[in-house]
Amino acid sequence: MVAYKAFFKVISKNLTVLMIYVVVFISLAMALANTYSPAGEASFIDAKVNIVFINYDEETEIVRGLRGYLEKNANIVDISDETEKLQDALFFKEAEYIVKVPKGFSEGILMGETPQLESTAIPTSPSRVYMDNMLNKYMNTVKAYITTMGDISHAELVRLVATDLEEKIPVDLIDSQLELANNQKRAYYFNFMSYSIFAVLILGVCTVMIVFNKPDLKKRNLCTPVKIKHMNLQLVLGNISFALLTWLVMVLPSFILYGGFMFTTKGLLYLVNSLIFTIAALSISYLVGNILKSRNAMSGAANVIALGSSFISGVFVPQEFLGSTVQKIASFTPTYWYVKSNNIISGMESFTAEGLRPVFLNMLVILGFAVAMLSMAMVLIKQRRVSN
Amino acid sequence: MVITVKNLVKRYDDLIALDHFNFEVKEGEIFGLLGPNGSGKTTAINCILSLLKYDKGTIEIYGKPMSPDAYDLKRNIGIIMQNVAVFEELNVYENIDYFCGMYITDKKLRRQLVEEAIDFVGLRDFRKFYPKKLSGGLLRRLNIACGIAHKPKLIILDEPTVAVDPQSRNNILEGIQRLNKEGATIVYTSHYMEEVEEICTRIAIMDKGRIIATGTNDELKGMINSGEKLTVEVLKLEHGILEGVRGLPNVVSAEFYDNLLIVKSTKGKNNLVALLDYLKTKNISVGKIYSEPPTLNDVFLEITGKELRDQL
Ligand SMILES: Nc1ncnc2c1ncn2[C@@H]1O[C@H](COP(=O)(O)OP(=O)(O)OP(=O)(O)O)[C@@H](O)[C@H]1O
Ligand SMILES: [Mg+2]
Repeated sequence: MVAYKAFFKVISKNLTVLMIYVVVFISLAMALANTYSPAGEASFIDAKVNIVFINYDEETEIVRGLRGYLEKNANIVDISDETEKLQDALFFKEAEYIVKVPKGFSEGILMGETPQLESTAIPTSPSRVYMDNMLNKYMNTVKAYITTMGDISHAELVRLVATDLEEKIPVDLIDSQLELANNQKRAYYFNFMSYSIFAVLILGVCTVMIVFNKPDLKKRNLCTPVKIKHMNLQLVLGNISFALLTWLVMVLPSFILYGGFMFTTKGLLYLVNSLIFTIAALSISYLVGNILKSRNAMSGAANVIALGSSFISGVFVPQEFLGSTVQKIASFTPTYWYVKSNNIISGMESFTAEGLRPVFLNMLVILGFAVAMLSMAMVLIKQRRVSN
Repeated sequence: MVITVKNLVKRYDDLIALDHFNFEVKEGEIFGLLGPNGSGKTTAINCILSLLKYDKGTIEIYGKPMSPDAYDLKRNIGIIMQNVAVFEELNVYENIDYFCGMYITDKKLRRQLVEEAIDFVGLRDFRKFYPKKLSGGLLRRLNIACGIAHKPKLIILDEPTVAVDPQSRNNILEGIQRLNKEGATIVYTSHYMEEVEEICTRIAIMDKGRIIATGTNDELKGMINSGEKLTVEVLKLEHGILEGVRGLPNVVSAEFYDNLLIVKSTKGKNNLVALLDYLKTKNISVGKIYSEPPTLNDVFLEITGKELRDQL
């Protein structure tokens, strides 16, 4: 394992440059954690969301109860039920959320079914999660009473639910507002991490590969009795260890900042997603490292690839703000799929197989990148050996 | 036979770098490959090490065909490349340890070998230095230490003394002789004939990808006509004397300038005595007298019609 050891000696001689990226990332992550002050009750009242309430059901006690509940916690604005008008309202932010009560909703509830409320929202709006949450809570409470108390009258049900929710709401809402902010921060942390990991891996891997690919040194190594296969294997192992180490260093602050959250399903999803991204970034770095010949080209490549892909993939700017052409181009980078997954994870409240499907599909896409780039690197290495 | 190269042909596009190249290296020799720049020494070494593909010919080391996967053969070879091949990121000790480690897996033995190699090339005071901080000569010594630390049976050195100060050069030449005494077979390429003459037990002279003569120092000199070069200090040379000297037996040429009479003669006995006798009869008083045997340059000159020195 002489080459494996040399790998890390070469890396450690160039540690300063790599550490700059790590330090910048960690300080930004820390700064991010401290800037946001939790919203107090006063600011919460200001932050009441404008919503549209549309009822296709009868004017039942249950519908009235739901409307009352929403009135307390949001501003119901009056917009007529025409597709175009509703779309305009969302677009001009007159309303951020639309709830539609389907026909037979009240009936369904009393029969013990779980009819769904339809909702539409501005995709990027943080209120979406908040409103989803609020409606879920209402429906869950209703369901809880129905299943436990069986034949209960409409009026009684609505009254019980209302008092029940009233007690909890203020606390819950402040919590969820805070949670909302934290949620965004975590997503941002992991999105931004893709840039730092990518940059560090390209720089680190290229540094070593350029050294070992120098013609004189390569020839000299070929004279030794260590098989080429073993030599390459040691270098690949070095690269993998280096990537894992980088990933660990990058995720470590998240455990310090977010503590127990990292052990929830959401936290673990972020971790798995970032690990898979790291694999893809490594395989791209390995390819680049075998193409580049000089150190000067290396920092250029790190900037273009890491910064460029981060920029067009929505690391710094939310993906929804990017034009569709940009997004199409970005979809040829693993960063795009990684960020996309992070955003999905961030918006998730419950973790069903159905809901996680897109996340896992994106992971597969990212792994696909890894395999493709690695194969290209292999072909390149093989071709070089033959052409000598 | 340690190395046997037969009819080796190597082309770079339309340039024929090696043209039916033949040579053999025997156990225990210091074999010198002498040739001007661009004559194909490095190309030959790279082919022997299977670093280059060649168009024709066979190469055997210790009686076995050499190939890129002849790892058993590679284990016994120490190689010092013309271009210094070390890691900039590793210091002197670590570099030697790296290359030694490619051959020797036992850690304890390796540590001992690395220390020996450091002492061998005289880099003890520099063991923590990085290559960038070493002078050209010290860097060459490091390059050598990396190649010999594992105590190979066959050591190939490609111009190890290029651009090296006299102190390092002597250190390197002495070292090579010591390695040879300890039992290693040495292949040494150079375009410095003095070095080759000094340390090599057998020499092949090459030009334009071909071996033009092989033999010991004396054998090579025996192949040519010119015997010795006589230099005599005289104050003045009367008219006609120079012609008289040229008429002496065995004399090939005679020149006079800067108060020096330079006479080249073919091999023969008593050339110097004959010359001095002749000068005495003409009443010419002589100062200092030198007699030099022919050099490898004379050999090269006589075979190729050009000076080896001019090619450098
Ligand atoms: N990779 C190459 N491509 C094309 N021509 C080459 C290549 N390497 C060497 N040559 C040519 O082959 C000939 C022999 O080169 P080589 O390096 O073997 O000479 P050398 O005897 O080692 O010279 P030196 O004393 O300068 O090291 C030269 O004419 C050189 O220009
Ligand atoms: Mg050469």
